[in-house]
Amino acid sequence: MPKILLIDDEETNVRVLAISLRSDGYEVVTAYSGEQGLEVFDRESPDIVVTDIKMPGMDGIEVLKDIKKRNPEVEVIIITGHGDIDNAIEALKHGASDFINKPVRDEAISLALKRAQDKLNIRGKLKEYTENLEREIERATHELRLQSNFLQKLIRTSEEGIVATDKKFNVVIYNPAAENILGYTPSEVLYIKKAKDLFSKELMRHYQAKRHEKQNRVILHHLDTKVLNKDGIAIPVRFIGTFLYERKKIMGSVAFLQDLREIKRLEKELLMAERLVTIGQTVAGMAHGVKNILHGFKGGSYLMEVGFKKGDNDKLKAGWEMIQKNIKHTSELVMDLLSYSKVREPEYEPCNPNEIADDVCQVLEETAREHNVELIKEFDPTIVKVAMDSRSVHTTLMNLVSNAIDACVFDDTPGKSLQVKLKTFLEDGNVVRFEVVDNGMGMGKEVKDKIFTSFFSTKGHKGTGLGLLVARKLVEDHSGTIDVLSEIGKGTTFIVRVPFMELRDNGVQVLKFG
Amino acid sequence: MGKRVLVVDDDPDVRLFSQTVLEENGYIPVLATNGEEGEEAVKKEKPDLIILDVLMPRESGIRLYRRLKTNKKFKDIPIIMLSGIAEKSFLRSQKVLTEFGGDPVPEPEAYLEKPVDGDILADTIKKVLG
Repeated sequence: MPKILLIDDEETNVRVLAISLRSDGYEVVTAYSGEQGLEVFDRESPDIVVTDIKMPGMDGIEVLKDIKKRNPEVEVIIITGHGDIDNAIEALKHGASDFINKPVRDEAISLALKRAQDKLNIRGKLKEYTENLEREIERATHELRLQSNFLQKLIRTSEEGIVATDKKFNVVIYNPAAENILGYTPSEVLYIKKAKDLFSKELMRHYQAKRHEKQNRVILHHLDTKVLNKDGIAIPVRFIGTFLYERKKIMGSVAFLQDLREIKRLEKELLMAERLVTIGQTVAGMAHGVKNILHGFKGGSYLMEVGFKKGDNDKLKAGWEMIQKNIKHTSELVMDLLSYSKVREPEYEPCNPNEIADDVCQVLEETAREHNVELIKEFDPTIVKVAMDSRSVHTTLMNLVSNAIDACVFDDTPGKSLQVKLKTFLEDGNVVRFEVVDNGMGMGKEVKDKIFTSFFSTKGHKGTGLGLLVARKLVEDHSGTIDVLSEIGKGTTFIVRVPFMELRDNGVQVLKFG
Repeated sequence: MGKRVLVVDDDPDVRLFSQTVLEENGYIPVLATNGEEGEEAVKKEKPDLIILDVLMPRESGIRLYRRLKTNKKFKDIPIIMLSGIAEKSFLRSQKVLTEFGGDPVPEPEAYLEKPVDGDILADTIKKVLG
């Protein structure tokens, strides 16, 4: 129950009213003048003040003003003389909550007190709500800050590069891992670059296509690809991108980039280790070939000795030819071994794949003609100048085309017109397909299974047994593939697929994704 | 009259070398390029000595050696093996073939591993022919 302060200079009134209010359950304190009223007020801190308006000394209006100054939330009820409307209005102006006329009737005062109490209650609740609300807001803000801190830290410490954009594809998140991959500092990227400035057109198109395909769904579609960093170096990454939707509308996009450089490096090391093992194994296999070569040298020098001794030019010539043949053979073997064991990054340079193929045909035309093999060129005219490693492609095609000519030479079917075709095709995804087709003797499964193993040769003393191994190594170093189709008696087709980079008009290579 | 020596080898250079060594030392060379041809030549030419390679297309030296050494008519013709294959490997392969139910064969009269000097080949021929 609220505490009430009664102020009236007429003591009898105060006593009677006090008794009546106490019996209603209120706690009542009293004063007999305005000044005393304020003293009691300060001491007792009542919730409601009921004061007479006409008092000697400090009157009710002044008491009202002073109390409102001290605590504006205290309800003040004014007791006025009958018909004293002016004073009542004056009192209301100064914040009195109610007024009652003299003589004070019990019903009137209890009604006024009840109204005052209701007001107090409402105000109390309001205050409680407000305070609660403030507390809640503070708590939520704290929570939000924690969460946002947590997310910030999560993004910052992620091993994966994270690049997120708003709905206009302006980059708004760019974490240190992304910085490590792409090389731009955050200040060069955030709110300045758009997604298309960081990722290739091809990649953007890829995801745009997915966007229409699966609207409204989170696409976590990963793609092993390359991105160009600030210095224009292609970095291998696993790219996971998706659009972020809110109520079916795009609110942004995010890309996760896993740096594959370390993995690629390890893969390369592993491949190298395997290759060295192969070479180790093949040293044993080489012995036979090397012995034959040495024997050729000895044989040749023996013939020449005989030739010198007797002045026999035929013997000299035969011996010299034998030595030359074995020099050639030695150099082939050594070069094959070297190119097989050497680590060589593909050297992308502007070249036209058709011209490489044409050059190979020119070099081998003579050999083909000697063996009555027709060498046919079928080049795709839509192939233009691109960036690829022309030396690797040249060596590979040389190997395959001269193999094909040999396969024809070994075919002794009478009356067969022997042909080797070199074809080029432009394939989707920036790949050139080379096909080397012969209609020679073909291979059975046993031979086909062995052709890519070291020192396997069907050419007897003619081959090094490394040619196809070298071809495959070069193609694979160039991220390409090599396949073979063959049928005994019908011929063999080698299919080589080599990815390339496009050239910009200014000759700078552009990364493309196959 | 000079003795007839059959050279069986698929490599033309080796044939030319052996032929020259033989001619220089007064023998009459007979040449064959694989096991099949070699066997024909043995029957037809009745050589006094055979110089035989191991690895050849069609009928290898391993098989031809077995056939000759298990044939009453030819087993006494001395054979010099001349090959890039080590002697050990050749003998092992013969042993394996014997274990798989073949008749035992004697070791060759001489075994030369490539590369071989002309003089050594000539000396070996001389020694084997006695």
